[in-house]
Amino acid sequence: MSTTNVMIVDDTPERATMLETALNEHGYTVCCRLSSAQGLMKQVEVHQPDIIVIDLDSPDRDMLEHMSVLSQFNPKPVVMFAEEGDSSSIQQAIRAGVSAYIVDGFNPQRVKPILDVAIARFDEFHALRSELEDTRNKLADRKIIDRAKGLLIKSRGLTEEQSYSAMRKLAMDQSKPIVEIAKNIISVMEILDK
Amino acid sequence: MELSVNSEANLEKTHLTLGYMPLTDCLPLITALENGYFAEQGLEVELRQEVSWANIRDKVIVGHLDGAQMLAPMIMATTLGLSCLQKPMVTAFSLGLNGNALTLSVPLIEAINRYDQLNSGEALAKVVQDRKTQGKAALVIASVFPYSCHTLQLKYWLAAAGINPDTDIQLVVLPPSQMVDHLALGHIDGFIAGAPWNSVSISTGIGNCLTTSYSIWQNSPEKVFGVTADWAEENPNTHIAVIKALYKACAWLEDHRAEAASLLSSYVGIESSTLLPALSGNFAFGKTTSAVAMPDMLVFNRYLANYPFHCHAAFLIEQMARWQDLPAGVDSKALASQCYRPDIYQQALPDSPIPNEPRLSLGEHQGNWQLNTQQGGIDMGGDALCDGQVFVSS
Repeated sequence: MSTTNVMIVDDTPERATMLETALNEHGYTVCCRLSSAQGLMKQVEVHQPDIIVIDLDSPDRDMLEHMSVLSQFNPKPVVMFAEEGDSSSIQQAIRAGVSAYIVDGFNPQRVKPILDVAIARFDEFHALRSELEDTRNKLADRKIIDRAKGLLIKSRGLTEEQSYSAMRKLAMDQSKPIVEIAKNIISVMEILDK
Repeated sequence: MELSVNSEANLEKTHLTLGYMPLTDCLPLITALENGYFAEQGLEVELRQEVSWANIRDKVIVGHLDGAQMLAPMIMATTLGLSCLQKPMVTAFSLGLNGNALTLSVPLIEAINRYDQLNSGEALAKVVQDRKTQGKAALVIASVFPYSCHTLQLKYWLAAAGINPDTDIQLVVLPPSQMVDHLALGHIDGFIAGAPWNSVSISTGIGNCLTTSYSIWQNSPEKVFGVTADWAEENPNTHIAVIKALYKACAWLEDHRAEAASLLSSYVGIESSTLLPALSGNFAFGKTTSAVAMPDMLVFNRYLANYPFHCHAAFLIEQMARWQDLPAGVDSKALASQCYRPDIYQQALPDSPIPNEPRLSLGEHQGNWQLNTQQGGIDMGGDALCDGQVFVSS
């Protein structure tokens, strides 16, 4: 059996790389990576993919839909969903944000494993991104707390430990996150400073 | 009055997620939310902006969206499973009439203007012919989706001018928001899209409008509120509540065009001044030409604009068949009745004008005419087709 050629259309380079690596590991060949569907028709002619994997939230999907109804373009891509009756796998694909188009003549059964890999990578990418955001937020929070601590140390003559536990106590009493308390302290101090 | 409606409404579902595309005719959804019309009906609605029609359709199919602004022909295409998962869809509410326009690059407009003794279609046909004799590549014109009124209007107009849309030009699909950039870069020679994208390209001097969808099919259907047939079946009272809210929004929009422009501006990130030409009907076809009055450029509620006329569906299906979009053996009449549901509209809006008899034809009226309803004669806008044909639904 010859190898399956996959074309990836994704404007997020990191995700496209993750997906390509994963597909290669699973024995598929990524014949082409595009950041947008511009020039797609020519690329399809040149690379002859069996399946096109695209980010669901790409505005280029309508262009792909159009290609799928044009008969004069060969090979003719067909929406994978048309062949795939199983709605849970469609739900899963949509939730992960991936859509796939199979090229005419390609066995739809062979789309499923490729799509599974894509879904897993898209999910992983989302997880990575939210983790990164989380870390970023935590860092920002720490800076605010440190600043409030500094202000307390300076104005009240507290030690670092004392000012932190004062804030923590306030946070617990008011059942608010400590960063909220820190923000309040900073804004009050700023008013007093003026 | 409103409160008793809520308590008697027996809503199957009160939290709804509805999808829309950033276009002027998504306004009924935005208005119903912002003016509190959904809330009056006991509905808590979240609006989601989507990036492609394919996305809207797929999310409605799998239930991630309860319903959405959709292209009228898409209801039929999805019901038939044309290049997507087959899922019966219905609409019981049209979001308005008209609004599309054909914009061409300035050089192409100049070439057309050299044939100033001809009408715009005939002149374009000459230019297409000239290019052929000179061995130049076919003109590339973009539409927004294969199954859209835009595509059908463009093909209709080209064919009426003697241009074969399948062989004489190259038709491509692009997202409306990218039309102007592609036109500026010379990737396309023109596009047909809804407001505000024609105004955006005109205001930047990149393109000139050649004709409007109003001149191709007067007061033609455009976007609709679409749901799956299953959803309509399972949520009849909720569906009715949504339609009541949308109707109130459409009535408000008729008389509040300037307010609508600023409301829309905050959703689509385009200045009100660019949104206003299509909304106010004071529309300039080019950057240097003066505006002309096009009072029916966008009709939200007049002319029974929200009524899902069976003949509209039948006409669109006939046009899809004309360009070989439909598989063999489709029963057009049954498909139109399955997809377009005036019965639900009538249940939702019993006090609004309801036609006494089904409207069977399109194309007979050049100007305003009267439609008989249980409330007496209602003013309807003209429904002429650009080639003078009359369509009679069987």
